[in-house]
Amino acid sequence: MVKSLEARLARLALKGDQSAFAEIVSLYQDKLYHMAYRMLYNRQEAEDVVQDTFLRVYKNLDRYDDTMKFSTWIYRIATNLCIDRLRKRKPSYSLDAESSEHEGLDGYSMIPSDNRTPESETLLSETQRIIHQAIETLPAKYKSVMVLRYLQDMSLQEIGDVLDMPVTTIKTRVHRGREFLRKKLEHKL
Amino acid sequence: MNCNVAIVWMHDYLDGELPRDDMAALKTHLIACPSCRSRFEQLQQTEAMAFGMVGSGMDAVLDEKQSALLTERIMSQLPAKRAGKPNAFAAWIRKHPAVTVAAVFAFVMLGSFTTMWEQNTQLSVSGTDLAQVVIEGNTVTIPEGARVKGDLTIENGKANVLGDVDGNVTVIDGQLYQASTAHIAGQTKEIDQALDWFWYKVTQSISKLAY
Ligand SMILES: [Zn+2]
Repeated sequence: MVKSLEARLARLALKGDQSAFAEIVSLYQDKLYHMAYRMLYNRQEAEDVVQDTFLRVYKNLDRYDDTMKFSTWIYRIATNLCIDRLRKRKPSYSLDAESSEHEGLDGYSMIPSDNRTPESETLLSETQRIIHQAIETLPAKYKSVMVLRYLQDMSLQEIGDVLDMPVTTIKTRVHRGREFLRKKLEHKL
Repeated sequence: MNCNVAIVWMHDYLDGELPRDDMAALKTHLIACPSCRSRFEQLQQTEAMAFGMVGSGMDAVLDEKQSALLTERIMSQLPAKRAGKPNAFAAWIRKHPAVTVAAVFAFVMLGSFTTMWEQNTQLSVSGTDLAQVVIEGNTVTIPEGARVKGDLTIENGKANVLGDVDGNVTVIDGQLYQASTAHIAGQTKEIDQALDWFWYKVTQSISKLAY
């Protein structure tokens, strides 16, 4: 089996090659930052998450199982850190109970309308702003799915791998998240 | 076709997961049903806009300088020293996570193990019950008849066990001597290899890892 570039770099880093680890950092740092920013909407927190992610990766290089894609592993660590922060931040709203996951696509009225606008977003077009705001107001479990789907362009299967959840669950969340965005944009379309 | 089914299929279609045959059926429904048609158009536009959010927003993307600064921060925070070869003790610890957590807990709670490995050549003793342990020079003695509750870890010193230990005895960079009167309920382990900071941090983080 041909090892991926990341798997080879990970091995070198494990042997103490710092420049190999620096290469891993350069491959993922900006993507992880972007994802973390879209999850947290806070630059400092996003940077902290990225930093923390690499620290964990470094400390656990010997536990990396290279049958899993390296990207899956690193995104899993980063999304878990983001979700942890979101949970600590405030009680998460209940978009739905886990049990009603398959009841259908309606029932978004419970999502609070949150009109906070990060100051840095003011230069964006109206629709982009609405999309960002809509994603920002999503509960963590939807947010992570939507960010991985639309920002990282991951397939449903890859998202399932990263979040360690069945694809059917991911699919339901993407559908609900998409409907939620559609409703927010409805009068703009 | 029922509109509810059509809506689910619209999403499947946008996910790229709608079988070809179903696509034809969906198309037929969309031609016949104006409300589904407008919903489908909205969903398609939403999808395009959601994909379009890449790179937008001032803070959402780091510029070159910010990116370089973050890289610097990341690289400078890495532990200076890491294990060059597989550490037998680390492997053993991984097979005994409960022991690890207990040991780390003991280390942390007692605060007797706070110095970094590099600076640490002094005797260090940690355990949950040190009341009956006698320390002379770099020799740690559990006298005959004495009983230590829980685990005992000795670093950079000799362990002289004459009495009872309810838990495990771990000696790092030292020697373990057990008299015939000694009774150790748990496991004993002597580690001659340097316990490096990396190992310590890894085991510390085991309990923190959520995955
Ligand atoms: Zn219809």
